[in-house]
Amino acid sequence: MEFKDYYQILGLKEDAELKEIKRTYRKLALKLHPDVNPEADASEKFKEVAEAYEVLKDPKRRAEYDELRKYGGSRAGGFNDTGNWQHAEGADHEHNNADFADFFHSVFGDRGFTQGGAQHSTGHRSHQHVYKGQDAEIEVPVFLEDTLAESSKTIQFSIPAIENGQVKQVSKTLKVKIPMGVSDNDRIRLKGQGGPGHGDGPNGDLYLHIRLVPHPLFDVQGHDVIISIPISPWEAALGASITVPTLSGKIKLNVKPNSNSGQKMRVKGKGLKTKVGSGDMIAVLKIVLPAQISEDDKVLWQQFKDKNAFNPRNQWSD
Amino acid sequence: MSETILYISFEELCEPEAIKHEWVLELIDYGIATPVTGSSEKDWYFDMSSVVWLKKAVRLYCELEIDWVAVALIIELLKQKQALAQENQSLQSQLKRFHHA
Repeated sequence: MEFKDYYQILGLKEDAELKEIKRTYRKLALKLHPDVNPEADASEKFKEVAEAYEVLKDPKRRAEYDELRKYGGSRAGGFNDTGNWQHAEGADHEHNNADFADFFHSVFGDRGFTQGGAQHSTGHRSHQHVYKGQDAEIEVPVFLEDTLAESSKTIQFSIPAIENGQVKQVSKTLKVKIPMGVSDNDRIRLKGQGGPGHGDGPNGDLYLHIRLVPHPLFDVQGHDVIISIPISPWEAALGASITVPTLSGKIKLNVKPNSNSGQKMRVKGKGLKTKVGSGDMIAVLKIVLPAQISEDDKVLWQQFKDKNAFNPRNQWSD
Repeated sequence: MSETILYISFEELCEPEAIKHEWVLELIDYGIATPVTGSSEKDWYFDMSSVVWLKKAVRLYCELEIDWVAVALIIELLKQKQALAQENQSLQSQLKRFHHA
């Protein structure tokens, strides 16, 4: 097992005072905490920093670690825990330590890992080796159309589980019910489908993180859906009845005469489902010219221009 | 088919997760989580979105060694950031659709 130099991880000298250790940990924790740092490796880096702090902030553990570092850590070939190491008594931390780093575990055993200063545990479990399995979260892509009614999905995922003292990835397949009206970033809990519990502890839970799949036509804003509707200049000028798609089939939409680009039309009840009803569909008109203009078209446009005094840049003229 | 759960009781939230009751009460006071039903602790239920923010808040409290005011502020800013990111994504997409045929 590779020896971990906790001083190096925190960027501290080995004679650093407790105050300095705390200050350094807080700075690094604020920077690396996975809840505020979206980078992929932040979680791993934070775990290392938290583990180092857990040891160095406790004078007894620190003394024990320093001894180990002095005699064992500097050996070529890395750290080898012989099992004869005498643990200091009195480090009285409660724990939920399914996430222990191997190195920490081999040195300090089950004597607690609080990941930071405050105690994050309520029960005195350390002598029973009983704790809940790890919760897991997976992203589940859901199409907008599938949110209009309850649907079922088969999901496959793998979670870490400890088998014979080794952490292994265990694959699981589940058929799950996706309720009607789910929104982006909603979570659904599947009780007991996370990592296996330790001792008599319950299994962890699996959280399904709903992610709405970007739609080729619709954007989502709250419970409303927005669609851009291309119309020709003459449809905009004269008005038209056009067929437009919605999430649940096609409808006729009346474009009023003299409509403009960017103008919005609200179609009630054609958005996403909510607990109390439905959102709306907002159609945004977009005037589109033909890709190519024929000679005949040019003549007509010219006639139109000659007969029309309209200047869209009137307000700039002064 | 697996049972999907959309709500979680106060006890169920606290007990297996080792979250102290008083922490949840603090977080409710700061508006980080709001029970969707129930008038007293024993019949409070939380939706999963609240549960996610509650757990995040507890992690920050324990791991950053900061007080609840600071946790509440961070959570509020994280919520705003998430909402702005979603809005930005939606507006970018609308803009793209509007500018390209």
